[in-house]
Amino acid sequence: MNGITIALSKGRIFEETLPLLAAAGIVPAENPETSRKLIIGTNRPDVRVVIVRATDAPTYVQHGAADLGVVGKDVLIEHGGAGLYQPLDLKIAKCRMSVAVPAGFDYEHAVRQGARLKIATKYTKIAREHFAAKGVHVDLIKLYGSMELAPLAGLSDAIVDLVSTGGTLKANNLVEVEHIMDISSRLIVNQASLKLKRETLGPILDAFTQAVEKNA
Amino acid sequence: MNWLLPEYLADALPAEAAKIERLRRQTLDLFRCHGYELVMPPLLEYLESLLTGSGQDLRLKTFKLVDQLSGRTMGVRADITPQVARIDAHLLNRQGVVRLCYCDSVLHTLPAATAGTREPIQIGAEIYGHAGVEADLEIIRLMAAALEGAGLSAARLDLSHVGIFRAIAQAAGLPAAADEEVFALLQVKDIPGLQAACAGLPEPYRSALLRLPDLYGDASVLAKARQQLPDLPAVHAGLDLLSALAAKAGDLPIGFDLSDLRGYHYHNGVVFAAYSPGYATALALGGRYDGAGEAFGRARPATGFSMDLREVARLAPATQVSKAILAPYGGEDAQLAAAIARLRAEGEAVVELLPGQAGSEGLPCDRRLVQQDGKWIIAAINKD
Repeated sequence: MNGITIALSKGRIFEETLPLLAAAGIVPAENPETSRKLIIGTNRPDVRVVIVRATDAPTYVQHGAADLGVVGKDVLIEHGGAGLYQPLDLKIAKCRMSVAVPAGFDYEHAVRQGARLKIATKYTKIAREHFAAKGVHVDLIKLYGSMELAPLAGLSDAIVDLVSTGGTLKANNLVEVEHIMDISSRLIVNQASLKLKRETLGPILDAFTQAVEKNA
Repeated sequence: MNWLLPEYLADALPAEAAKIERLRRQTLDLFRCHGYELVMPPLLEYLESLLTGSGQDLRLKTFKLVDQLSGRTMGVRADITPQVARIDAHLLNRQGVVRLCYCDSVLHTLPAATAGTREPIQIGAEIYGHAGVEADLEIIRLMAAALEGAGLSAARLDLSHVGIFRAIAQAAGLPAAADEEVFALLQVKDIPGLQAACAGLPEPYRSALLRLPDLYGDASVLAKARQQLPDLPAVHAGLDLLSALAAKAGDLPIGFDLSDLRGYHYHNGVVFAAYSPGYATALALGGRYDGAGEAFGRARPATGFSMDLREVARLAPATQVSKAILAPYGGEDAQLAAAIARLRAEGEAVVELLPGQAGSEGLPCDRRLVQQDGKWIIAAINKD
């Protein structure tokens, strides 16, 4: 395929990527929220969008099934990112990765050197590296959703999760005790595509870069 | 389930095996015609010699086991290049230029990101004893010819130079601990990550490191690099070398990418990568690795390239392979035996039916030997 394929996930990333695409003169023909199509055309015959699960976007781009993709830094770290170019922080879909515990839990005391802690998370790599750097042993419990429930139901002592407004934590009587890193979405590019499709990709990358700088 | 293979290991079945073998012979013949001598290093070696001078990535990729004879740790090679460097440095010990080539399986503990196998077949060629750009040019041309011979066009040959990054990192006083991290960030063009990792470094070196990921594309990149990169002798030397190479290889689709420094960390000069449509990453990689022989007693200028024959065979277009000729069971028939021998001498494959075996069902034959007027002649097999 000589055209350009862009991998996007539904929801916040799709919505917040639309203005950047528009800056590059690309307008998707349909909205994935209302369409059930997985391949969406655009106003440009040589550009199409594929709708993927957020966690699958790096895989599609890595194997060259898509040339470009937009993916959260959290997903990228968990994936490993090997063989992908990740040149641009798009500064969209911003949130933070944090440690949260039930209100009243003495976190400072629990994470003294040599302690052992049960952590429920979807982000096992980020959690492992964070606690290893602190010198704290952790037993990781991998969950796929509703992380906030784990400490309340006695499954874990704490959680590592994405926090956007903090509303869900508050509603479940959890408090954010440690900020691990800021998260935003990255543009990822297939290595061979950047080399072989430079004429088409270059202007899109430049438009994205300028649009991000203008929003900053 | 004893037929099940471990993950990322596979049998090559007849069609695939035939293709791999055809390309192996053809590529080794190409090397031989250019004066490269074939060597066959062992599958296993002591770990220290396998990993000499290489980075952590090769250590992780290497399967290890204990030698019952010596009690020492051995590794299954994950890369043949260091073995060939050892042969040149220590065993051959010839003065002057040595050209060597090889083709063998290597094992990786983990498959590469986009590879489907943990057992690539590494085929490559190396030149020792020549420090000039002419040796690199010969290797680049050989790499392009090997791909072209397989029916694959190298749509893009990207050049880079490790010395440019090293010079800037050294001038910036980048601590050894951060060196590996910055190197890894450059490989994935992670500019936001580089901004964080280089935050404390002095100017103009900090900005120079941040510009490297953007310095890719056609020949205009070199002019841009001369303007944007700091005035260091090693930076100039690197860019001059790239210009010289590009000027001499004007007929090839040469490009540049100053942050594409992949390889096994032993490279120290120009590095190159071939990209082909339909393949998500570089199909062939190579570069200069002067000094790799030092650990074996003799530092030698060295440059070479290698590729995975399995991947090349998978991408290569299918070629028309002539099928075999079916012959009846001859017994004592001397005339038939002579006819078969003659055909085989001509390079044809002749399959002899065994007693009780009937028809050509399931056999890779499209013609048969039949007797007509006392002579054995070839007739088409009518499939009905």
